[in-house]
Amino acid sequence: MTPETHTLAPAAVADIREIKARYPVAQSALVPALLRVQAEYGWVPPETYDGIAELLGLDTEVVAEVASFYLLVFTAPVGRQVIQLCTNVSCLLAGADAIQAHVEAKLGVKTRQTTADGRFTYIVAECLGACEEAPCMLVGEKRYKRLTREKVDEILDRTDS
Amino acid sequence: MSQTPANPTVTLTIDGHAITVPKGTTVYHAAKQLGIEVPIFCYHDRMPPLGACRMCFVKVEKMPRLQTSCTLEATEGMVVETESPDVVEARQGVLEFLLINHPLDCPICDKGGECPLQDNTFKYGPGASQYVEPKRHFMKAIPLSPVLTLDRERCIMCWRCTRFGEVIAGDHALKGHERGFATHIDIPPITMEGPSKFIGNTIEICPVGALTSSAYRFRSRPWDNLGTPSVCTHCGVGCAIRYDARGGEITRVRSRENAEVNDVWTCDVGFFGYDYVNSQDRLSRPLVRRGDTLVETSWDEALNLVATRLRDAGGDHAGAIGGERLTLEESYLLSRLYRSLGSANLDYRADSLAAPDTRDWGWGTEGTMADLDRAGAIVLIGCDLIEEYPVVWLRAKRALDRGALGFAIAPKRLEIDRYLRHNAVVRYGHEALVLLALSKLVAEARGAEAPVEAAALVDLDAAALASRAGVSIEALRAAARDLIAHPPASFHVGRLALDGPDPRAVLLAANTLRAVCGGGALSILRGRGSAAAAAVAGMVPDALPGLAPTDDAAALGRLRTAWGRDIAAKKGLDTPGMLGAAAAGELSFLLVAGADPAADYPDAEAWRLARAGVGFLVVQDVFLTETAKQADVVLPALTHAEKNGTVGSIEARVQRIGQARPGLDGARADATILQAIATRVGVPLMYGSVHEIFEEMTTVIPGLAEGLAFPLPRRTARVEREAIETILASAPASGGGATLVPVTSLFRLGEMTKRSPGLARLAGRPTATVHPLDAARWGIANGDEVEVAFDGRTARLFARVTDETREGQILVPRSLRLGGRAHDGTVRRLAPAGTWA
Amino acid sequence: MTQSPGTLGPDPTNVLLRHVNVPGQHDIDTYVANGGYAAVHRALKEMNPDEVVAAVDGSQLRGRGGAGFPTGRKWKFINRNAPVKYLVVNADESEPGTFKDRTLLEGDPNLLVEGIILTSYALGVRNAFVYLRGEYYDCHRLLGGAIRQAYERGLLGERILGTDFSLDLVVHPGAGAYIAGEETALLESLEGRRAMPRLKPPYFPAVMGLYNKPTVLNNVETLCCVPWILNHGAEWWMQQGPPQLYSVSGHVQNPGVVEAPLGTTLRDLIDRAGGLRPGRTFKACYPGGSSSRPLVAEHIDVAMNHESLAKLGSMMGSGAVIIMDDTTDMVKVIARVAEFYMEESCGKCTPCREGTRWVVQVLERILHGHGRPSDLDLLTHLSKNMTGTCFCPLGESVPPSLNAGLAHFRNEFEAYIARSNAAVPMPVRIKESVPVAGS
Ligand SMILES: Cc1cc2nc3c(=O)[nH]c(=O)nc-3n(C[C@H](O)[C@H](O)[C@H](O)COP(=O)(O)O)c2cc1C
Ligand code: SF4
Ligand code: FES
Repeated sequence: MTPETHTLAPAAVADIREIKARYPVAQSALVPALLRVQAEYGWVPPETYDGIAELLGLDTEVVAEVASFYLLVFTAPVGRQVIQLCTNVSCLLAGADAIQAHVEAKLGVKTRQTTADGRFTYIVAECLGACEEAPCMLVGEKRYKRLTREKVDEILDRTDS
Repeated sequence: MSQTPANPTVTLTIDGHAITVPKGTTVYHAAKQLGIEVPIFCYHDRMPPLGACRMCFVKVEKMPRLQTSCTLEATEGMVVETESPDVVEARQGVLEFLLINHPLDCPICDKGGECPLQDNTFKYGPGASQYVEPKRHFMKAIPLSPVLTLDRERCIMCWRCTRFGEVIAGDHALKGHERGFATHIDIPPITMEGPSKFIGNTIEICPVGALTSSAYRFRSRPWDNLGTPSVCTHCGVGCAIRYDARGGEITRVRSRENAEVNDVWTCDVGFFGYDYVNSQDRLSRPLVRRGDTLVETSWDEALNLVATRLRDAGGDHAGAIGGERLTLEESYLLSRLYRSLGSANLDYRADSLAAPDTRDWGWGTEGTMADLDRAGAIVLIGCDLIEEYPVVWLRAKRALDRGALGFAIAPKRLEIDRYLRHNAVVRYGHEALVLLALSKLVAEARGAEAPVEAAALVDLDAAALASRAGVSIEALRAAARDLIAHPPASFHVGRLALDGPDPRAVLLAANTLRAVCGGGALSILRGRGSAAAAAVAGMVPDALPGLAPTDDAAALGRLRTAWGRDIAAKKGLDTPGMLGAAAAGELSFLLVAGADPAADYPDAEAWRLARAGVGFLVVQDVFLTETAKQADVVLPALTHAEKNGTVGSIEARVQRIGQARPGLDGARADATILQAIATRVGVPLMYGSVHEIFEEMTTVIPGLAEGLAFPLPRRTARVEREAIETILASAPASGGGATLVPVTSLFRLGEMTKRSPGLARLAGRPTATVHPLDAARWGIANGDEVEVAFDGRTARLFARVTDETREGQILVPRSLRLGGRAHDGTVRRLAPAGTWA
Repeated sequence: MTQSPGTLGPDPTNVLLRHVNVPGQHDIDTYVANGGYAAVHRALKEMNPDEVVAAVDGSQLRGRGGAGFPTGRKWKFINRNAPVKYLVVNADESEPGTFKDRTLLEGDPNLLVEGIILTSYALGVRNAFVYLRGEYYDCHRLLGGAIRQAYERGLLGERILGTDFSLDLVVHPGAGAYIAGEETALLESLEGRRAMPRLKPPYFPAVMGLYNKPTVLNNVETLCCVPWILNHGAEWWMQQGPPQLYSVSGHVQNPGVVEAPLGTTLRDLIDRAGGLRPGRTFKACYPGGSSSRPLVAEHIDVAMNHESLAKLGSMMGSGAVIIMDDTTDMVKVIARVAEFYMEESCGKCTPCREGTRWVVQVLERILHGHGRPSDLDLLTHLSKNMTGTCFCPLGESVPPSLNAGLAHFRNEFEAYIARSNAAVPMPVRIKESVPVAGS
């Protein structure tokens, strides 16, 4: 228990301990633990790596290399909502490029950027596994299907405003 | 072709040549045995194959795809081609991929001239690049640490450095971050404590100029370097190294292979600790005391003065301390000089309060370091292996990785804790009690198999001992079971215990434990440079050269033959004895050769009294050390990079150092100095060459031979009743405050290391390690500047708050010189973290 | 029949998809009322593990994750006597165009749980893990609910249904990495490391899998077949086709998961997905995800099974059928597919890490009016250098698209190059800006 551990909320520490217990080897809990910390802050501040490492008996360097590999582990601050817009083939065939242009113009950001007002982080995503609903996107954990410009406007205006 | 189940072999054909290799050999190695060099980048023969770079393709009959020869196991009847047109084309393709983003800045790259990428490109590379796209850009030349510079644009992502951190060092110092084409080598985006101790190795194995030494950058081109094979003498491991010099300046140190010692690795003190040789601070004129000051003088005047005072002192009133910084020949000369004058006041232990009987407890290993390869259990007793003898840790890690179990009994949690099965963080000075409790538990569990004398342990209350030491009896029971189940054990007693309140009790307890375990090597990991071997060469008060008993007639006979005179069969004073005699006005001459007791002797007061009482103090050294400043005469010496001869490691392995640059003008080798003194006192020591001295040593010291570890004597393993009494009486009762525990760090500001800029920065700020509960009690936070008060003294340090230590124990630098007593201390905050400039 | 959200209730024309539109099917009571967990009761009470393995082996079930390896054979590789073995379910579904596992998990999560229990029983597994794609948030909730209920009913946990068989099941979230679908990368990821494929040998999952223990890895759909096979027998299963899920998307009127007998023709699949849009003609299709070599009009009557597709130099893959009609810009599609692999390359091996990006750079240049006539030869050259040289199949998924594109739609590339105009600036790709960190 180094002092850095204390930067993790007690509830997160408890949850991570519980997650760790699910696995025969503690390191397996690393990605779930990162996601748990992310639930706290919206992203995973590098200052928490030491604490996570300590809880799981790992080197901090290992936490860092793993965190940087996975796209859904955000290692930099994000907006209040994360938009993942699929532009992969099936969505492209359904006009995702037009939707993409529309979202980028509307929010004034490119992929992996956050809007100036901090509302949205926008990510050009790979196939979201919902090609029958193309074009589609995730806003936070909610999936929206058969997007049109109007639908996008409505969804984004409604979300977190 | 002989094929037995014990040693199965396979025969395959490579480029038309048949070769038989042991089963399990890869095609890459089979080809190598035929002299066929298949190009590689990611593969390194000390790590398991990865198969990532795709450079080592070969074509194998009946296999649809080209195969990576580094990963492919040779099988019976395999037919391999290493240079078929499709193989060459595939290699060309891989090189083309590797080069598209490479900056091709070979003319200004440190690696230019010794770069596998350059060489392979020359051999297989595509003529011109078809790449017209913008290259990938990274920030150039980032200093990742005080000694390591990273140029990511040159990196070809072979993963060697990251795997070194995982597989070899276990410290995970460098990692691949991000992924895909954005993958790059990095350290985490936050400052971390505890820099790697082995990062120099990553520079060595980097196949391009991506990882370079900050100390070496732009200093030389490989072809301008003059290389001299030598041995590192910073710690006591004796790693094989090579000095590179250019125009008389040491430009860098590289590691050499020695399977018995360092394999192919070296630690960062070895890699980066060479600039002291080039330092402007070097002594180049003899100094003589005139009142309060030291003034320059001629060699003649200085030597005459020294000789006069030594002659006047006569046999029993002259003493000499040193050995770790001398070559074996020099230790031998010093011993011969003194013994010829009738003095056995000789000691190789300049920085130790404890000087137990050398034939029982001499510094060094029992057996060799390579024995670790076969150990079932590795027991570290007050031994912070990675801080003291880092390269031994690499060997220990290899043993742990193959299934040996690690145990630690120490007053702090070791950095390598993760790799250990048992880690008892004991109350300071209580190691012996834990060992005794363990002995009892082991004897109990082994029952009839335990030696009969183990009966002496029957009445002990293991639980009570454990509780006194502050460790859990359940943990000890588990440790005892594991210890029995994993023979043979290898015991290592280290400085945390040996500099503690009762080193003798710890040694006796370790001996008891190994006796009940049915044996196991007992190594005493103490002493830097040539210390252990200096004892063998004769720098020891209680044994003759070769560590023969002082009354050993055969040994005395050999000395008579070699030296042409009779040597008295007597014992002399050890370092504490000499200092005591000096303080009492009974020592009129003290020679300190390559040692710095004024800074290193753990009891500052004892040294002060000794200095005040000694008649005449002579120091041979490279720098004006603390001791030199207090000397009557200072004689400027040469470094190990400037002379020839042999040195010996903690296993007293005799290895040759090499002169890598001309000696500094005005300074002289210690051997030359000693010979000049000897002539002047009338016991001339005439040899035609350094080699001749060594030849003579082999006649007086049977078993001494170049390259071999000298078998160091050790007390017989047995359970002794009186030992148990000593142990039980050992642990100090704790006082009121927090106990101060002196600890050693690999990176510290020594006379040599502080003159190597990278190492000086790695040493960082001196710290006081405080347990979080204590920190909360005293209101201090991590990084605060604090004052540690004890015994009316104070020290300013920087707080490290971690549970590496126990509650109630403050870890402080050894340089506080606490005198081997358990001091109570308190900590007060001076300034919050960050205000320190 | 396409699984379409409009129809509610069991669909007797389907097997695997039969209950995905039944309201409340994710609740264990409804699942049981519809015949759920009957197989578990039967197997645990009446069959020994070998009989379960034999039944699956007899059905000739082939893996539905992409490689199409016979499931029974895979199970038989496992050393039955190993004290610790694991079952890992591959629910990382990330191959572009694939969404059948999600459909099963969202519509009938208990079916997977039942398949896992049966498989674990057959293999003597005590701990099973589902590696679930991070973006499948709804699946996570639904599968979590199904598992909780199974524990409550004594179908998971200690001494299941009073037998000696115990099983714990953990859902492990992925976090955005397509390569984690590759079986050895998945194991690395599940062990808490970067998802980078392992070297085979020695790391064959059946021998040295999760935590270096023998491990069976199966796809979601594969395991969803198991309860059906045990309920009705191998013979019945074969008579059904066997049932195979195809994710049909792109230019069809009714995209969705189609359940059809394995080997249905491409033409038939298009029909079942509502046909092409009025007035449009078929141009090309990915028959087995974006890693498969695209088919063109002349292949419209190919039987969609492993053998026929392999004969065409393509593959069945994950059964993701992406239909493209005559409005499709093939250069754009191929560039987008290449970009996917560039984004998802793990970065371990040279040809994939460097090659995917180079290909994308060239294709982007062509798309943005900076193509050169020599680029087509360059693309052929790159495609060749990436074929047979990568560490795992990911990097080698770019050449099939590229080769088919250059063979069948060369004129489209040439048209772009002919329109090239050096005066038009190349847009800067934000995605390519590499973090300049570490200072
Ligand atoms: C790059 C790559 C990605 C893959 N992704 C998936 C996936 O998302 N889901 C899956 O089930 N199999 C995937 N596979 C196939 C798996 O490696 C493995 O063959 C499969 O999960 C085995 O299950 P099965 O025998 O039931 O098909 C992928 C393979 C590769 C090479
Ligand atoms: S082909 Fe190579 S870089 Fe690409 S995903 Fe596989 S191992 Fe990683
Ligand atoms: S050396 Fe064989 S793949 Fe790198």
